[in-house]
Amino acid sequence: MDTITSSLPQLLQGLWHTIGYSLLAIVLATIIGLIAALMKLSKFWPWKAISTVYVELFRGTPLLVQLFFIVFGLPGAFPVLNQIFGPKSYPFIGAAAGLALNEGAYITEIVRAGILGVDRGQREAAESIGMTPFQTMRYIILPQAFKRMIPPLVNQFAQTIKDTSLLAPIGILELMYQGQIIVSENFEGFAIYGTVAILYFIIIFIITRMAGYLERRLQIDKR
Amino acid sequence: MISVKDLRKSFGSNEVLKGISNEIKEREVVVVIGPSGSGKSTFLRCLNGLEKATSGTIVVAGMELTNPKTDITKLRQRVGMVFQRFNLFHHLTVLDNITIGPRKVLGKSREESEALARQLLAKVGLKDKESSYPDELSGGQQQRVAIARALAMKPDVMLFDEPTSALDPEMVGEVLQVMKDLAREGMTMVVVTHEMGFAREVGDRVIFMDDGVIVEEGTPEQIFSNAKEPRTKAFLSKIL
Ligand SMILES: Nc1ncnc2c1ncn2[C@@H]1O[C@H](COP(=O)(O)OP(=O)(O)O)[C@@H](O)[C@H]1O
Ligand SMILES: [Mg+2]
Repeated sequence: MDTITSSLPQLLQGLWHTIGYSLLAIVLATIIGLIAALMKLSKFWPWKAISTVYVELFRGTPLLVQLFFIVFGLPGAFPVLNQIFGPKSYPFIGAAAGLALNEGAYITEIVRAGILGVDRGQREAAESIGMTPFQTMRYIILPQAFKRMIPPLVNQFAQTIKDTSLLAPIGILELMYQGQIIVSENFEGFAIYGTVAILYFIIIFIITRMAGYLERRLQIDKR
Repeated sequence: MISVKDLRKSFGSNEVLKGISNEIKEREVVVVIGPSGSGKSTFLRCLNGLEKATSGTIVVAGMELTNPKTDITKLRQRVGMVFQRFNLFHHLTVLDNITIGPRKVLGKSREESEALARQLLAKVGLKDKESSYPDELSGGQQQRVAIARALAMKPDVMLFDEPTSALDPEMVGEVLQVMKDLAREGMTMVVVTHEMGFAREVGDRVIFMDDGVIVEEGTPEQIFSNAKEPRTKAFLSKIL
């Protein structure tokens, strides 16, 4: 018990990093996902192609490989990255970008399904009162699609939190890495990794409960 | 008001409209009848560009719809459409359903749009429903809101695609009443419907369509009582 209480401050510090990276990634990923989904639904084939390649690439390869490639691979081929961001900060930026791009690929599909799930008659009604395609998307389709998207988005958020543990091998001091550092000093793997797991579980539990609650709320007032 | 010349429309290799020509005058109420699949909806949808004509010309309110240079959103502001399945915006209140067009498309102020919306709601008999959501209303009420939504754009023409055929029988009357009032006020209307009472009462002209062509047209009296074409007679004997 003592080992846990004495290492808890360090673990909680790691937890804050985990939450910070998760929030940053999910916000960026939602923006990326929205843009990529609109590109994928566009009639202009180059948009469609770019978006499809993006989604397939990031869903079809392991996140850990993507992170290593972006953080350790890209600066070798493009030294300009280190010049712009600084060799010290680039790994943090690269890690956040990699995570956001990976989650964004999944969110693209969530947004796309949400948009396609809105009845075709809604678009026709909007166009029949003279709305442009942009206005139709902005005022009619997206607000309705978004309501359907909330539960899967929250689930993707929980997934993102789990995925941040893959930032440990690239040296981001999030929860998992803090756990590894503590264990390497006190060799109490059972207690420490157990605590790490419980901390992840608590956060994800809260989020999935929120998802369940939202889902019920949206079913009650289906509008 | 509407001028259609040799309108053709194909979906893939399936030619659905096979050369339709017609002139619809200002203040005229035209009722379109015909069997299911004869192309009535497609014809109507071509008139506001929801379907793109394969060939032919359509001029509505002085704008040539079939000219690719025409701003189709401008044209649609002048042409109201009422759908069989209402298609009210589910996420907006009744009031917002009606004001969103004037506000976002015409750029009018919220105050002005809401004043107009309340006037229209009173007209369709739904004054007390402005803060309801569409899913809380009956079909007849939803369709009346849909009519108000279209009217809020102050259109020159109103298109109705079987506006009462998704309704329970007891609600048909309330929607037809609103449409009759509109017709009497001089609105130019093209109505796809099988409500013969409506056609006789306010219709100036009835068009019978079958298999993508206009088979016969005339006054309600001529069509319903003295149809000449065998296809018209056969159709009418089935529905009357
Ligand atoms: N979007 C579409 N794609 C392919 N075929 C269509 C489409 N819309 C209508 N059709 C076909 O066009 C024909 C006429 O349909 P429609 O205009 O809806 O007839 P009506 O309204 O008289 O019942 C039907 O055979 C229908 O299957
Ligand atoms: Mg039809």
